[in-house]
Amino acid sequence: MRSRLAILWTLVVLAVGVHQVLFWRSARLDTDVLALLPEDEQAPEVDAATRRLTDGAGRELVMLVGAPDWASAQRAADVVTAELSRDTALLAPSVVDASALEKAVEFYRPYRDRLLTPAQRDWLSRASADELGGTALMKLYQPAGPRLTDWDADPLGLWPDWWAARAAESQARPHDGRLWLSGEGREWVLLTWHSQVSAFALGADARITSAVERARAAVTAAVPGGRMVAAGVPLYAEAAAAQASQEMSTIGLGSLLAVLLLVWLTFRSLRPIALVGVSLVLGCAVALSVTALLFERVHLLTLVFGSSLVGVAEDYGFHYFAARQGKPPEERGPLMRGLLPGMALALLTSVVAYLALGMAPFPGLRQMAVFSAAGLLGAFLTVVCWFPRLDTGALPVTAFATRVSASLLRWPRFSSTKRWWLAAAVLAVAVAGGLWRLQSRDDVRQLQGAPANLIADQRELGRLLGLPSPAQFFLVGGESEEQVLAREVELKARLEPLVADKVFTGYRAMSDWLPTAAQQLADAELSARAEARAVAAVAAATGEAPARARFATDVLTPARFLSSPAAQAIRQQWLGQLGTKHYSVVMLRGLNDPSVLPRLADAARGLEGVRWVDKTQEISRLLERYRRLMGGLLGLGYLAVLLTLVARFRREAWRAWVPSVLGTLITLAVFGWTGEPLQLFSVLGLVLLLGMGVDYGIFMLEHPGEGSAWLAVALAGVSTLLSFGLLGLSATPALRSFGLTMLVGEVVIWLLTPCFRLPPGKDVVS
Amino acid sequence: MKRLVLLVGMLLGMTAGASDLVAGVRARLEDAPLLRGEFEQKKTVAGFKKPLVSRGGFVLSREKGVLWDTRVPFASTLTLTRTSLSAEQGAGGAAYHLDASREPALAAMNALLFALLSGDVATLSTRFRVEGELVGADGWKLALTPTDAGLARVFRSIRLEGDRFVRSVRLEETRGDSSVIQFDKLAKAPPLSDTEAKRLAK
Repeated sequence: MRSRLAILWTLVVLAVGVHQVLFWRSARLDTDVLALLPEDEQAPEVDAATRRLTDGAGRELVMLVGAPDWASAQRAADVVTAELSRDTALLAPSVVDASALEKAVEFYRPYRDRLLTPAQRDWLSRASADELGGTALMKLYQPAGPRLTDWDADPLGLWPDWWAARAAESQARPHDGRLWLSGEGREWVLLTWHSQVSAFALGADARITSAVERARAAVTAAVPGGRMVAAGVPLYAEAAAAQASQEMSTIGLGSLLAVLLLVWLTFRSLRPIALVGVSLVLGCAVALSVTALLFERVHLLTLVFGSSLVGVAEDYGFHYFAARQGKPPEERGPLMRGLLPGMALALLTSVVAYLALGMAPFPGLRQMAVFSAAGLLGAFLTVVCWFPRLDTGALPVTAFATRVSASLLRWPRFSSTKRWWLAAAVLAVAVAGGLWRLQSRDDVRQLQGAPANLIADQRELGRLLGLPSPAQFFLVGGESEEQVLAREVELKARLEPLVADKVFTGYRAMSDWLPTAAQQLADAELSARAEARAVAAVAAATGEAPARARFATDVLTPARFLSSPAAQAIRQQWLGQLGTKHYSVVMLRGLNDPSVLPRLADAARGLEGVRWVDKTQEISRLLERYRRLMGGLLGLGYLAVLLTLVARFRREAWRAWVPSVLGTLITLAVFGWTGEPLQLFSVLGLVLLLGMGVDYGIFMLEHPGEGSAWLAVALAGVSTLLSFGLLGLSATPALRSFGLTMLVGEVVIWLLTPCFRLPPGKDVVS
Repeated sequence: MKRLVLLVGMLLGMTAGASDLVAGVRARLEDAPLLRGEFEQKKTVAGFKKPLVSRGGFVLSREKGVLWDTRVPFASTLTLTRTSLSAEQGAGGAAYHLDASREPALAAMNALLFALLSGDVATLSTRFRVEGELVGADGWKLALTPTDAGLARVFRSIRLEGDRFVRSVRLEETRGDSSVIQFDKLAKAPPLSDTEAKRLAK
């Protein structure tokens, strides 16, 4: 039976090995923070909108190069272009197609008569015949000006204004063959480049980032007052990859070295080091393979979090060797059988705790849960199946092990004395005070560990370019395409006063580029009437017989518009049909002040089919909801663990349970006193703490009075502490808060568990 | 060897010729801070059999801008500064105003009209290929072809003729229309009147 299990496990390990080779050959690692965020089950159209708005920008690099005057700004732009052109395999300039505008003009030309700005619509419907005629004559006799059509196709010169309104949706203007904008005391050239390498293949060597930094330095050196602002997904991806690989090596190697050092100190033999090392490597390999098989892509943060697994998965090896020390090799089998119930129970509580993390609908969290649970199981099976077989030699007790084991006897033990109760009372007051001061914060930025300079550049770029926000927008739905466009018009009427009030700069909507069919017909009629009067006035004044040009008789449909080059700028905002309904997105520009968001939410109130989407707020609410839910589950979890413990240890169960409860409460109190806010990820840390903290109590109760159990608990505690302590150094706030929770909680539980050990000579399990 | 020297000489001569032209035109033109006079514009527009003729007066102030007042066939005014363009028709209340500070296309158009009326060859040669010749003792002719894509969308070519002043401008638009403007009674005085200064200050 045993040998069959060992062979079976060997086969699994071989399969994992093959999978690992395949995996690393084409590693598909995810660096996108959005991939960690939950899906919205109630409104898939919101997700579709978010995805559409963030897709396509995956390889884009947007840069503004500025200087105090236009000539030096152009010089600075040339410096950047020269610098970025050095490695053509890495970056390429995104060609701004100059003929795109011409193509768009040609596409719209037959429909010019129904493309009116709101101001023109207003003017045409109330202008007198004299005013119309006068305007037409004036424009006709003017020295040449910018025209897009022949005179007879636009006798009132209306079209350039309509184009100017479309152009106002972007701050950048063509100027001397470049894209120019002016702002914040500088003249700027807009440059767009794209990465030739997929974001998933970007490594920790940060080649794009260093190319951009070289260009930035060159601009500062070559042009006085020169400045460059850069943003783009490739930069974030590289920063995330560099950060993750650095953190993985700190956490993973740091805890691995610590574990091996502890094993060496305790056992003074190479065999335990090799075997514990094997159990850890296999645990991590199994974890990665299972995650890669269950999920489409492995997220970098999963690996960062996963490196803390090293400090947890070593427990089983420690327990085995601590018990094995000083025993003859023949006793290995029975020894393992004796350890098995405690180890299995400990594994169960830990795996359940990890999987409980996966209950929250965050894909990233689910990955971390699966990764850790699979890793623990892998390490456990390696210890159980292989260790008794491979560990054949003698293992004498070392002086270090004896000293650690003996320290248990000197460890204070809780008893019902005045001094202990006084200490308990002081602790209770301190904990109550800390809990009273505890604050919570649910903020999506916890998931974002991007360097501050990248975020600052992104903000500056957004401000200068007036880019629409991808996190706050209106989602407009309707039974038909026409209804969606009509509802957009209603929404825009509500937004106009806010734009006039400078609450935000402006909006970008499909209906500005493609009026509703009804509007097209009405505007065509309006312009036909007004222009007929204008042409008649010109005919009377010049004594000639000019005629107004003819326009298309059909209506411009969404399908035709979307397949034309004119739709390039707006296409991504049209979601089309999802389920039975049609959807579009109305985006907002110049939205820099979060305090105005409620006014925007109010603007959509009562409009049928219009939904205000604030992704940032939605995620924060979700984080809050799950913080509360997981908090409640934590309470239930403690109850369930207590019942499980009572089933095995009867009246002494509290001895394993109380240290974890105290660990949780004291951690919360420490957070309260230090001002560290409580958030979903610290609560998740507490859930994991429950699963692992109880383990120590279980081992102590399973093997009372045995110095070897204490030895194992002491070693395991130190390595676990170290792993999570190192996770507390992560630049990702969520992981840091998780690590800190585990660190404080583990220290407390580790120190308290031996205080609640059984009095000498007592035994609960027969 | 001799031929090579000749070739190099020709090359040098050619470049000298191009900058000679610019320098020559600049030397012949009077550098006046203010210019006023009469104009006659003949505009050929698709859909009209005869050219559209208009007459009036203009003032160009190098510092402030241009006033273009049409008197015939109807009264209208055009005011052009470095930052805006506004037009008004006496009767009927037709008027419009464009702000150039946000629209470089309009700003570029304003700068171009300034340069054309004042014969600013240096500015023109940054946006056009300049060809031409000096005529007689004090005359000159220039042919301008846009090198800038934005301008090429509007103009096919521009021809200028003059002596101490610019005497005529011929604009060929890319879409086929064309205008010929002749100037007359050009003078450097009197300075801007109060009303004119007020119009340009708006």
